Amino acid sequence: MPVKAVATAEVPPEATVVPAAKPDRSYFWDKLHSLTGIIPIGAFLAEHFWSNSYALVSVDRYNQASYDLQTIPWRVPVEALMIWIPLLYHGFYGIYIWSKGKSNVTRYDYGANWMYVLQRWTGLVAFVFIGWHVYLERFLTQGKSDYFDVSATLANPLFLGFYVVGILAVSYHFGNGLWQFANKWGLVVGRGAQRKAAWAAGTIGVLFALVGLAIVFSFVFQWHPFQFYAQ
Amino acid sequence: MAEGKTIVLKIKRRAGPAEPARWEEFAVAWRPNLNVIACLIAIAENPVTRDGRNTTPVSYESNCLEEVCGACAMVINSRSRQACSALVDQLEQPIRLEPMSKFPIVRDLVVDRSRMFENAKRLRCWVPIDGTYAIGPGPRVAPERQEVAYALSRCMFCGNCLEVCPKVNENSDFVGAALLNQVRLFNAHPTGRMHAHERLQAVRGIGGVQDCDNAQNCVKACPKNIPLTESNNDVNRQALLDAILGWMLR
Repeated sequence: MPVKAVATAEVPPEATVVPAAKPDRSYFWDKLHSLTGIIPIGAFLAEHFWSNSYALVSVDRYNQASYDLQTIPWRVPVEALMIWIPLLYHGFYGIYIWSKGKSNVTRYDYGANWMYVLQRWTGLVAFVFIGWHVYLERFLTQGKSDYFDVSATLANPLFLGFYVVGILAVSYHFGNGLWQFANKWGLVVGRGAQRKAAWAAGTIGVLFALVGLAIVFSFVFQWHPFQFYAQ
Repeated sequence: MAEGKTIVLKIKRRAGPAEPARWEEFAVAWRPNLNVIACLIAIAENPVTRDGRNTTPVSYESNCLEEVCGACAMVINSRSRQACSALVDQLEQPIRLEPMSKFPIVRDLVVDRSRMFENAKRLRCWVPIDGTYAIGPGPRVAPERQEVAYALSRCMFCGNCLEVCPKVNENSDFVGAALLNQVRLFNAHPTGRMHAHERLQAVRGIGGVQDCDNAQNCVKACPKNIPLTESNNDVNRQALLDAILGWMLR
């Protein structure tokens, strides 16, 4: 029995083959932007809230904690590599990403779409706030800020207001950023997993906001609820 | 409802890609179960505006009239959706029809969505089986995998997910959720998976998966209820693993 011939298409290859898209460096820079938000910036944020929580114990413990941090070895390179450079990159690259999007939340007013818009605005507020905060508490005090310097800043009601707004913006941006990270790195895929990650990230964001505000109120009202630890 | 009632439509028209846009109002006699495409057919039969001026029939695309072909996507009362499944009785009047804004306009409500098809080619969204000899049947697929893939395969390239996406616009090259879903679909196919690396490299190109910022409008707008955000995240995971493994192994 003759073998049936299999027909093959006789088409010149140039006519049909569209070149595949090539991997682009923007993939790396986008992933780096997303990563720097968690490590080191998010990690430093957690450390920063932790160290500043010493204000809730006592003035002495706070000053001791600041002194310990201010006298770490390799301070300036560590600050530059772990804080300044990642922050500047994350901030400016974030603005670049923002410029490539066009919000349509007035037309499509869904929850996640609002979170997309808020992520951008809180990022901007946080960036400005952090810049001002670093200038005030790091550079103006020549890196020797203590309890008295922070209290002096927060005695100004305008500055206090900016601190409250800044802490809320940073906490939202970090909480939602954790959820974004889980999505953008494919850590969660299914809708159930996305929802669980949203709850977890939201809880972390709320905790950061509460701890941040507690620290601010500790300075404003001389409130040291953990003072009995030191006695 | 009483017969003799009329439906008012406001349509954003444009005679050609370079022509200025203008709004025209039409009145169409109401009948039961009227949808937007039926209104456009009625206007084509009698192209007279509401104030009695003769005009050209409104150009639009449609085909299946049952939300499986994707042709008739347009912006109806500020929402991007299929016109065939837009029932007049469920719409606020006057019904405003606009062409989708994220694609080049051809005329009136017709837009050129070929960009999606070009991107499907650039992302290798097919299963290559052409060769010089018969390669026999492909591997069998477990029913539960079929179920996942079936949901993804319902995509009809209507473009609603691109229209509602804040990251798809003239400042960005983002390919959009439909295309990322295609990458997932063909990587899930047991024969298609043999070219997964090629797709995952392509999807890390300009406008690739990294441009998705999770506004998640796509999944709300999809008329086929495709879990698009899951596809975005799954392609993100695959692309990342491919990139990291590639960096370590190749």
